[in-house]
Amino acid sequence: MLTSYIRAVKAESLKLKRSPVWLAFFALPMISAFFGTMNFKMNIGILKSEWYSLWSQHTLFLCYLFMPALIGTYCSYLWRLEHTRHNWNSFLTAPLPISSLYLGKLTQAVRVTILGNLWIFFLFFVCGKAAGIQSPFPKEAPEWFLCGTVGAVVVCCVQLLLSLVIRSFAVPIGIALAGGILGLYMTNHDYGMDYPYSIYCLGMRANNPNMEISISTLLVNSAGYIIIFAALSVFYLRRHEISAN
Amino acid sequence: MITLQTEFKKIKRKKIGLTMCALIGIQFAWLLWSGSRPDENERLRGWISMLYNLPLVSVIMMPTIMSVLASRLADVEHKGNTYKLLNTLRRPGVLYHAKVVCGTFFILAISIAQFVFVIALGYARGYAGHPEWKHYATAFLLNFACCMSLYLLQLLLSMLFFNQMIPLVAGLGGSMLGLILMYIKMYSFLPWGGFLSAAQVSMDWNPETKVIHFYYREYSPIELCAVFMIFVWIVVFYTAGRILFTRKEV
Amino acid sequence: MPTQNLVETHNLTKQYGKVRCVSAVNMQVPPGAIYGFLGPNGAGKSTTLKMILGLARPTDGSITLFGTPVNEKNRMKLLTQTGSLIESPSYYGHLTGEENLRIIQTLKGCSEKDIDKVLKIVRLNEARGKLVNHYSLGMKQRLGLAAALLGFPKLLILDEPTNGLDPAGIQEMRELICSLPGAYGMTVLVSSHLLSEIDQMADHVGIIRKGELVYQDTLESLHAHAKEQIAIRVSHTAIALDLLRQDGIEAAPEEDYLLLPMMDDAYVANLCRQLVAQNISLYRIEKREKSLEDIFLSLTGKESSL
Repeated sequence: MLTSYIRAVKAESLKLKRSPVWLAFFALPMISAFFGTMNFKMNIGILKSEWYSLWSQHTLFLCYLFMPALIGTYCSYLWRLEHTRHNWNSFLTAPLPISSLYLGKLTQAVRVTILGNLWIFFLFFVCGKAAGIQSPFPKEAPEWFLCGTVGAVVVCCVQLLLSLVIRSFAVPIGIALAGGILGLYMTNHDYGMDYPYSIYCLGMRANNPNMEISISTLLVNSAGYIIIFAALSVFYLRRHEISAN
Repeated sequence: MITLQTEFKKIKRKKIGLTMCALIGIQFAWLLWSGSRPDENERLRGWISMLYNLPLVSVIMMPTIMSVLASRLADVEHKGNTYKLLNTLRRPGVLYHAKVVCGTFFILAISIAQFVFVIALGYARGYAGHPEWKHYATAFLLNFACCMSLYLLQLLLSMLFFNQMIPLVAGLGGSMLGLILMYIKMYSFLPWGGFLSAAQVSMDWNPETKVIHFYYREYSPIELCAVFMIFVWIVVFYTAGRILFTRKEV
Repeated sequence: MPTQNLVETHNLTKQYGKVRCVSAVNMQVPPGAIYGFLGPNGAGKSTTLKMILGLARPTDGSITLFGTPVNEKNRMKLLTQTGSLIESPSYYGHLTGEENLRIIQTLKGCSEKDIDKVLKIVRLNEARGKLVNHYSLGMKQRLGLAAALLGFPKLLILDEPTNGLDPAGIQEMRELICSLPGAYGMTVLVSSHLLSEIDQMADHVGIIRKGELVYQDTLESLHAHAKEQIAIRVSHTAIALDLLRQDGIEAAPEEDYLLLPMMDDAYVANLCRQLVAQNISLYRIEKREKSLEDIFLSLTGKESSL
């Protein structure tokens, strides 16, 4: 099981060579960080909570509206590799368990998401220092990062399923954007923890760093969603006859 | 004309209409949610506040909707590897033209739906008086023009790159840039800044009294240039698309 | 020598909605054979091969590979010993040929040295560093074959491997396939809609028509079905026909010719003399074989195009 998983991950890594699609995870947080810091500096009179104010400026738009869609593009890209050039035939005749093949894809999505999240925190730190914030870096940051990453894995699982079933590249991304927007509503009405696209924002404490959340609820709900959507994807791959055309 | 008909035939069963409806539906839900159960005060400034909200919703969703639409129309050919085939059947410019017209049809439908919904919603909520038609018409026209410029840009990118991640990320990044520009009220000549330039209404917010005041904007000369830029972009992207597509070696 | 068949299907059936694509096919591929799976386009070849590979689920019937009935559990193990190229070749265009093979090699878990070997076999060694997007169709097809050969499986399943190739490419692919059983002990199941192609490659043949396997045997026995005839062209066909019938010879007019059953040389000489004596001029005397094409056509129905 482990060896076939490693083989699947290795093969997926090989497929991603020469296509620097991760650049998107590099660029979008930069736009957000740049303008967020700029706005922070311009409104230093109103935004008085130093690191915490800067954090909401950095993450407000990024986490709610754009990260789900960005994760969505990556997931669409991963399956598009198989959706085009007749690759389903070779993908599904690989002598590996279907679950390993799926986990190979998921691992790639999670990996780039974690790196993207790290990058967001790195930018936060650098911009804060550059903006001249004197107080110490928030000690909760590692917790935000971990909770946010767990939430991001949920988005990965949902988007992988959507991009697998819907063969279009773009439509799942539209759904991700819509999902993120709906997440604003859900979070506002305290359904955030029950809604896959919101868990990420809650975990990251986007927009509201002082928010109290129940970490156990977050972990349990995330695990539930991850298992459900991963299982659905594997089931679809097993049962559905995906022809190469 | 035949090419256009085939263009519509090609997207049959691709459910583009459904996708567009779903995405526009989310916009409606959002508008429905924001400012539901208005009090007397909000009813009084209802029509003007609507024109304030609309560009905000547009700037967040339209760039992505446009990239989805363009990618959907262009990717049919990438997947079927049919650029080569079609170019032998018709002059490539014609194919490009067909995709432009086909997209325009969807954008027009979306824009009309958006405004009809907004106006119906206003009346249903009992906003005072009637919409200021002059401003609504201008808003409609500029909103439509913005969408067109972005669609033409996205179509260009989607046809140019086999890897659809590039145009889609450009759409997302543009969306984000436009939103931030609007948020910090920074006028720019970028295509995604068009929604801000197109906004008819501005807002003052008094942090002490927390009173919101909406008003119709007076355009400064530089802001008028920004509006003009929307149309410049349309011409630029259309021409670039045409040239690049006819010269693209497939 | 084990006589157990490498591939066996029992009443294999596939139904899409109300359409029966494959209907009760009992295919038997003996070890070491090159089994030509022949049929017009849309007869159910690809669907049958896809079911054998587990890419499509049979509506009914069962499949035995290497003597083991295929099920979910042993599918992986059986796939390890199988290489395949179904429909058009699969490839990742933004990668080089070698990188594409590395992906398959990683998934199959076979030796890295195999990559060099198969690249040499399909003669892509020089293009290994080129992006597959820049390959010609023939090169992509050969890359697909190379991928199928990785790990040197016991069974190779190739669906229309010469599709879209130019005559030189077809020739090359054919020679390659013919060499596989001898060189690597592989059994090859290859499909085609071209009889001539199967005739030049295969030693066993199965002919499928509208989802039904209408013929299955060695190529030799198919050839035995071929019939020889004598065809003559004369100045007065009608008179000649009468004359022949009086002699008790079954003659049938076909276009300008008269077709007669096979006869020995003395009889032909005698016949010529008789015709000339009646002032009928003889233009042509030919020996005709009822071609494989004719047999194929009669088996698959004339209406289906080749």
